[in-house]
Amino acid sequence: MKLLRLWILQIRYAATRELMFRASFFVWVAVELAWFVIQLAFIGVIYHHVDEVAGWNRNQMIILVATNQLVIQMFTAFLMPGLTKLPELVRTGKLDFILLKPAPPAFLVSTSHLEIGPLANGAIAGVILTGALQSLGLHPSAPQFFAYFGLILTGLLVHYAVLMGLVSLTFWIIQAESVLLGYYTIFHVARIPREAATGWIRLVFTFALPLLLVANVPASTLIRGLEPRPILLLLLSSLLVAVLATAFFLFGLRRYQSASS
Amino acid sequence: MTASLRALPAVFSLGLQRQLAYRWNYFLRASFSALPLLVSWVFWGAVFQGRHTVGNYTFAGILTYYAVMLVVEAVSQPSDDDFQIATEIREGMLNPILLRPLPYGLYRAALFAAGRCAYLVAAAVPVSLALFLLTRATDLEIGNLNLLHGLPALLGSALLQFSLTLCLSLCAFWILEVSALIFLVYALEFLAGGHVFPLDLLPAPVFAVVRLLPFAYEYWFPTAALCGNLSEGAWKAGLCLQYGWAFFFMVLAHFIWKAGLRRFTAAGG
Repeated sequence: MKLLRLWILQIRYAATRELMFRASFFVWVAVELAWFVIQLAFIGVIYHHVDEVAGWNRNQMIILVATNQLVIQMFTAFLMPGLTKLPELVRTGKLDFILLKPAPPAFLVSTSHLEIGPLANGAIAGVILTGALQSLGLHPSAPQFFAYFGLILTGLLVHYAVLMGLVSLTFWIIQAESVLLGYYTIFHVARIPREAATGWIRLVFTFALPLLLVANVPASTLIRGLEPRPILLLLLSSLLVAVLATAFFLFGLRRYQSASS
Repeated sequence: MTASLRALPAVFSLGLQRQLAYRWNYFLRASFSALPLLVSWVFWGAVFQGRHTVGNYTFAGILTYYAVMLVVEAVSQPSDDDFQIATEIREGMLNPILLRPLPYGLYRAALFAAGRCAYLVAAAVPVSLALFLLTRATDLEIGNLNLLHGLPALLGSALLQFSLTLCLSLCAFWILEVSALIFLVYALEFLAGGHVFPLDLLPAPVFAVVRLLPFAYEYWFPTAALCGNLSEGAWKAGLCLQYGWAFFFMVLAHFIWKAGLRRFTAAGG
């Protein structure tokens, strides 16, 4: 409860800071929107040539991509801005200020910043998703919607784990800015229909790093209804990777030597 | 001018040292660049299930396209030159550079070349490994690369990308924060440049428009030329457009630089 109150305070502070640069807000909305349009254009081109990919038709694929976009935008709004600051905090020694505060450092690092623009893009993804649901003639029930949003929040844990794991490398590598590129690259996997992946790739990206579940399971919940096994799998695996990533961060933190003399 | 040319090897060496200062960061970046190939293999494998061709491409053909594009990317894509230039302008680091007897464009070109050389070395291992693994899984057509068509297109792509980057980052004379502009153009380059999919998969009327834009000559054209997907006529016409666009952006960068310098205020010692 104390952490929740702290998070709300951090969000209020970060939102005030963000709203000082209103022009920047609109420009970044346009930038993020452009990247979403790229994904939709890719789907358009693929389905110009084929009717289905791994059993997913055009509108189902739009639901998958829009769901992935929704998770990414929520992550980009609330957790990513703080996490990406970690390499700089470590390099400059400013992590000292966070370590002095009476709250878990992993929590403080990941919630220290906020970006409002991604929330607008999340809303746009929601509109596209609604359009695709209508085109398919689907009317998901209230429990389906409830599960969908719960699973999206669970997906945030996987994003958190991957980025936390990557930025924690900064305790060993002086400049680790390129890990952000790694994060974006790895999450290309989340946009693939799970059925498209076979063999070891499916195993690795389902159990070791559950990227194939992040958007697939919530999207399937809307399209095909509640399926307990994949839902349980996403819940357990995301929790596990989040715990492991935090442990890795704490392990790296032991190497931190602070900026003081 | 001769003095400027004599300074270039020193600037090139400086660029190499700057790139390799953070080796692990650099190596990680190069390693991650090979990952999209894995995603392409999985996704396009599903697209091709039960089909021999999609558009003009076979499964092996499309994977070859993405694999060759990795090389094109390594040779011609600027890494963080745009952000470096913008920072130099914004933070007044331009002052000592202006004092040197070396045109800024030439100075940046030497640093760009150094960056590409360093990146090629760093990317050699991960990219070769990715290609090796991919050739074990499918029959890539990388043995039939058309170097005669591909190499001039590759050089043109590097010139075009460098000059476009210069134009964008020099906007920092007027705009404090150019990163949004840079990312917006990145998005255009990815979509209209053939980075996400080969442009000839687009419907014919759209493709006809897109191939007139400069972006098509950054990735799609050199990749298609290397893969041998272009007729002699299409290659010659494409090469003219590519070098034409590169020349246009170089001239534009020159004018932006001149106009920007008039606004630039150097403060401090």
